Amino acid sequence: MSAPRRGVGLSAFSRSTITASQYASHGSTLRNTHAASLETQLSVFQSLLHQFSITHAKDIRSNPQFRAEFARMCNAIGVDPLASSHSSKKEGGAGGSWWAQMLGGSVNDFYFEVAVRVVEVCRETRAENGGMIDVAEVRDRVKMGRGVGGGMEVSDDDVHRAVQSLAPLGSGFKILTLGAKQMIRSIPKELNTDQSTVLEAIQVLGFVTVSMLQVNLSWERPRALAVIDDLMADSLVWVDKQADETEYWSPTLIHVRQVE
Amino acid sequence: MSTEQNPKPFHFPPHHSFPPFFTLQPTSSTRASQLSSWSALILSYCAHHRLFSLRFPSALALPLFCNEGLGRRLRAGDVKAVLAWMGSAEGGGRVEWVDGGGKKGVGTGTGEGEILGEEGLTGRCWVFWRRAEEWAAVVEEWVERTGQKGVVLTLYEIGEGEGTAGEEFHGMDGELLRRVLGVVVKRGRAQVFGEGDGLGVKFF
Repeated sequence: MSAPRRGVGLSAFSRSTITASQYASHGSTLRNTHAASLETQLSVFQSLLHQFSITHAKDIRSNPQFRAEFARMCNAIGVDPLASSHSSKKEGGAGGSWWAQMLGGSVNDFYFEVAVRVVEVCRETRAENGGMIDVAEVRDRVKMGRGVGGGMEVSDDDVHRAVQSLAPLGSGFKILTLGAKQMIRSIPKELNTDQSTVLEAIQVLGFVTVSMLQVNLSWERPRALAVIDDLMADSLVWVDKQADETEYWSPTLIHVRQVE
Repeated sequence: MSTEQNPKPFHFPPHHSFPPFFTLQPTSSTRASQLSSWSALILSYCAHHRLFSLRFPSALALPLFCNEGLGRRLRAGDVKAVLAWMGSAEGGGRVEWVDGGGKKGVGTGTGEGEILGEEGLTGRCWVFWRRAEEWAAVVEEWVERTGQKGVVLTLYEIGEGEGTAGEEFHGMDGELLRRVLGVVVKRGRAQVFGEGDGLGVKFF
């Protein structure tokens, strides 16, 4: 009685070790095959993507709609088209440069070119608009280009990506939403809530007056005046003293065709 | 001089439909950008209508300084400030008062228009959408192109003659023309004879 029990006990130990090691080895085999098949898949995918980008490099560069779709596809499969060798944020550290290698840097270069133009446009217009400019206007100016034939075919989406690509440089360029509009802020100065509220109101109404702010936001007069003064000092609003009550307009509206 | 000569309508830049553009901005950086926009507008307007000078106060009524649709106008004091800026080194010396007009109390500040009123701005100023040196080159080019080197030309022939009908400097004020020719003479490329209206010039 004791023998089988002992036998059971001991063999059970060795058996369980054996099974455990068998499981382990089987598991590692499975893992290996899995990894191997994944690697094959990845390399197939990479070569296909490479093929794709070579065949369509021209389209990617020249057709904004195609480019936007391509970028969206990249996002969906978790690849950042802008992650380049020098930015370590994204897709497993060293893998960052993979994208640039794959596309021969052509997509990266494209966005950096756009980014350079975006920076130029923001600089040129800063004195007029206090470093706040409509994304649509930047797009149009980039399209127009510096001289004859210097323009690029770009979409809002491209401008967005270009601004994002500037982030690692700590440039302080960012996109913010004011009402229904997307704005590029090129001066790293935060707007407080009151200031954004006023700018939003201007985007919607075209202009504001102190009494409009008092009535619609139930602000005290000094509060409204203080916000307006701050915005004026930063060139974010322009004053029109020829109206019945002094009006404050946003220079971002200059280049939008005035209605009326 | 302040009459519009070009039948084709001038396309105003978007700034001209932006109401605050007609109020000089108190913030200095904003104002700097506004002044250069006004300067660009005035120069291109004058070039379009071939206005070599503006006479005040009548020029204040030009569509250049008023947007009827918006009910906005650049007031006399502010016009004076813009012109003063254009005449400064910063503005590139693009404006010059002809006979000391507009000199008295040359505008410096905002809101002066409201205090001075329309009578605050009188006199005539040159608007150099091309500077005298640039005009000199244009005239020289014309002489060269039409093979009139060594020919004695009268001022009238250059300014009003049929031969210059299509040229940019056609219709140029005699005083300005004399000044332009002065530049050419100084460069040693021409010689001026005679006096007053009978002035003649020979290019070589």
